[in-house]
Amino acid sequence: MDYPLDAALLSRLRAGEQLAFRELVSTYQGAMRAVAIAIAGSRFADEVVQDAWLSVVRNLPGFEQRSSLKTWLLTITANSAKSRLKSSRREVLLDDLPAPHGSVGSERFAADGHWLSAPSAWHEDSPEALLAQEQLRECLEHTLASLSELQSSVLTLRERQGLELEDICNLLDVSLSNVRVLLHRARLKVFAALEHYQETGQC
Amino acid sequence: MLTCQQLVENSSDYLDAQLSLRGRLSVRLHLAMCVNCRRFIRQMKISQALLRQLPEEPIAGLEDLVAKLASQEQSRG
Repeated sequence: MDYPLDAALLSRLRAGEQLAFRELVSTYQGAMRAVAIAIAGSRFADEVVQDAWLSVVRNLPGFEQRSSLKTWLLTITANSAKSRLKSSRREVLLDDLPAPHGSVGSERFAADGHWLSAPSAWHEDSPEALLAQEQLRECLEHTLASLSELQSSVLTLRERQGLELEDICNLLDVSLSNVRVLLHRARLKVFAALEHYQETGQC
Repeated sequence: MLTCQQLVENSSDYLDAQLSLRGRLSVRLHLAMCVNCRRFIRQMKISQALLRQLPEEPIAGLEDLVAKLASQEQSRG
């Protein structure tokens, strides 16, 4: 496979161009943090990401572009995080913490599976207009902060970083069915918070 | 025939293209007939777009890190 954009950035990195390093860090740090948090927890995330960057620079000359730069960076981050893996993580994998505005649970449905309280129309539904509202941005941040570290990392990697589900499984050593559960629960919580915001104008 | 509750349960898999052909068709069939679930899916897509576009936190210590990485690369020569 060819990664022409990566190749251009790589040759600038190998030339030691400072702007290229800034571009690299700005582009990938968010995804790397999400991977670090998912595996090692937020307490170690900064250290893990820092170690990963140093390892990236050490290994730049040998990187042969058999994968995309993004995949390579995230694999290095995952390895760095696994060396600090919390042994308790597997047991709390699917732990579901309460969100500020709940989820879309069975209380929304009648016994026959029809909506009891169906979603109502949102008066504002353009993402740009919604994000211009400071209170809504805060509301989203607040909801994301209420998710478990793994749940929020999976959501970030999928929605903000655009990773495929399969890549998330491989990086985090989580099964596909668990990634699907984590993602779905996280999305319903975000949905419930937005719905509440639309109805009340508050978080 | 899917119920609305089942549609909601399958919604993420639908959005992530994780359903079998049969699963996808039953979601589409339900959506064709159910205004509430169409609205739900539309609003789920808006939530996704919001997360995608939500500005990321600025990176703490970006300049220091960049300088450090670049100098390491140069010192290797």
